Amino acid sequence: MIKSKSNVLKIVEYIILFLIAAIVLVPLIWLFVSSFKSDADVIHYPPRFFPEKWVLDQYKYVGDAIPVFRMLLNTVIFAGAVTFISLFIDSLAAYAFSRLEFKGKKVIFSIILLTMMVPFQVIMTPLYIEEYKMGILNTFIGLILPRISSAYGIYLLSSFFSSIPKSLEEAARIDGMGDFGIYAKIILPLSKPALISLGIFHFMNNWNDLLYPMMLTSDVNMRTISAGLATLVGSNSIKYGPTLAATAMSILPLLVLFISGQRFFMEGIATTGVKE
Amino acid sequence: MKRKNQKIAYVFITPALVVMTVFVFVPLVAAFIFSFMNMDIYMKDISFAGFGNYIKMFHDPRVWNATKNTLVFAVLEIPLQIILALFLTMLMIRNTRIHKALRASFYIPYVCSMTAISIIWSMLLNPNSGLISYLLRRHGIIMPNLLNSTKWAIVVVALVTVWKGFGYTLTLLSAAALDIPASLYEAAELDGAGNFGKFIYVTIPQIRSTISFCIVTTLIQTLQAFDQIYVMTQGGPQHSTETLVTYIYDRGFTTTHDLGYASTISVYLFILIAIATMIMRWRTQEKEETA
Repeated sequence: MIKSKSNVLKIVEYIILFLIAAIVLVPLIWLFVSSFKSDADVIHYPPRFFPEKWVLDQYKYVGDAIPVFRMLLNTVIFAGAVTFISLFIDSLAAYAFSRLEFKGKKVIFSIILLTMMVPFQVIMTPLYIEEYKMGILNTFIGLILPRISSAYGIYLLSSFFSSIPKSLEEAARIDGMGDFGIYAKIILPLSKPALISLGIFHFMNNWNDLLYPMMLTSDVNMRTISAGLATLVGSNSIKYGPTLAATAMSILPLLVLFISGQRFFMEGIATTGVKE
Repeated sequence: MKRKNQKIAYVFITPALVVMTVFVFVPLVAAFIFSFMNMDIYMKDISFAGFGNYIKMFHDPRVWNATKNTLVFAVLEIPLQIILALFLTMLMIRNTRIHKALRASFYIPYVCSMTAISIIWSMLLNPNSGLISYLLRRHGIIMPNLLNSTKWAIVVVALVTVWKGFGYTLTLLSAAALDIPASLYEAAELDGAGNFGKFIYVTIPQIRSTISFCIVTTLIQTLQAFDQIYVMTQGGPQHSTETLVTYIYDRGFTTTHDLGYASTISVYLFILIAIATMIMRWRTQEKEETA
C-alpha cells in the first residue's frame, strides 16, 4: 500500500520534471527546426512545428540581409580576446594578492572588490565619452580594453590560488626560482580547473552581452552578433525567416561548447561562485 | 625568513590596476560629476547644473514609473525563480544519470543570449503568426497580444527571465543540497519526517547561505535587466515595461542624448541597488545568526 503510494508520487515527480524539460527545450528545438523551413513554410498558416521540406534557404538569405558572418567573427574576436587577456592580467594580480606580502595589499584588494557592486549602467555614459575622446569607439580596441581585467576574476583566482599549499613553492624558491617562475610554472598549471571555469564564464558573458557592445559600436560591421540581432530585429530591417537563421547561428557556438564541456559550465560555477 | 614587503608584487598588480583605474574608477567618479552637469552627446555647451538634474529627476513622472516597473519586475521575477528552483531541488536531490541530464537541460537557456531568447519568445507569442496563440486558438482560447498589453507585457518579460535563469539557480542549489551528509537525512527519517519534511527541516536550513547568495545575485540582475525589455517591448506599451536601465539608455543614447541627466538617473539606480543589496545581505545574515 505504502509502496504503491510512493510509486504514484514518483511518477508524478517525473511527469513534472519532464514537463518542465519540455517547456525549456521545445522553444529552442522550434527555433532550430524552423530555421530550415522554406519561405512558404515560414509564413504558412496554420503554423507547423516541423518544416514540410528541410531547406537551407533562410541560411542563404541571412548573409545578404545582414553581415551575420562578420558579426560572428567580431564576437569571436571580442569574446576570445577578452577571455584570454583577462585571464592573464587577473591571474597576475591574483598571484600578488594571494601569495605575496606588500604595503597597501588589503586596502587595494578591498577597493577592487567594492567595484563588483558598481552596476555597468552607472559607468556606461562616462565610458562612452572616454572612448569617444580616445577615438576608440567602433573599434576592437574599444570593445576589448575595458573588459581585460575584472574584479570578479581577481577575486575568484585569488581565492583559488590561496588554497595552494605554500610548501610547493618553497623548494622552487630555494632552487632560485623567482616569482614569475613560480607563477608560470607552479601556480598556473595547478589552477587549470579554475582558469577554465573563469574563462568559460567570461567567454559566455561577453558573447551574450548586449548593452555594452551596442553602446560602444554603431557601425553595423563592428556589431557583435547579439547587438546586431537586437538592433536589426528591433528596426524590422530583417525578415522573419532570416531572423530564425541568424538567431540559431548566434546561440549554436555556445550550445556546442556547453554540450562538449558541460562539466566546466555547471560544476565550475557551482563550486567557485558561492564559496566565500 | 619572511619578507615583509615584496616589491615585485606591484609589477603583478599594475596591469589590472591600470585597466580598472581607466575603465572603472575614472568613469565612476565621472558619473557623479556628470550628474551635476548639463551636457549632451555632442559635447557642446557643457555647463554646471548644480542640483538641476536631481530636481528635474524628482519631478519626472517617467522616473517614478520606471522605478515602479523595476520593482514590480523584481517582485515578480525573484520569488518565482527562487521558488521554482527550490521546488525542483526538492525533486532532484539525487545524482542519477536522468537527474544530471535534466539539470543540464534546465541549464541550457542560461547559456543562450537573452537577445536570442527574447526573439524566440516574441515569435512564439505573436498573436497572429505565433505557434502558441495558434495552439490556444485551436482550443477556443483567443490569446491577447500579451507583449502589447500594459497589464501583461511586464509579466511576460518576467516569465521569460525566469525561463532563462532558473536552471542556473537550480544548479547552485542542487550542488549545495547534494553536499549535505546522508546522516542528517537518516536522523530526520528516524524522527518520522517524510520527503517534504526532510526538505523543509534538513535541506533548506543546510543550504541557507546558498539560497541567500542566489537571492542577492538575482536581485542585482533583475534591477539591471535590459536585454529582454529592449528586444521584446522596448519599454512599451506606453512605458509599462520601462525600467530605470531602459530609461537611462533611452535618455542618454536614443532620444534626447542628454548624458548629464542620464548620469543623474544612473546615480539614483546605483543608490537603489546598493540599498537593496545591503538590506538583503543584512536580512539574510540576521536569519543565519538566529538559525
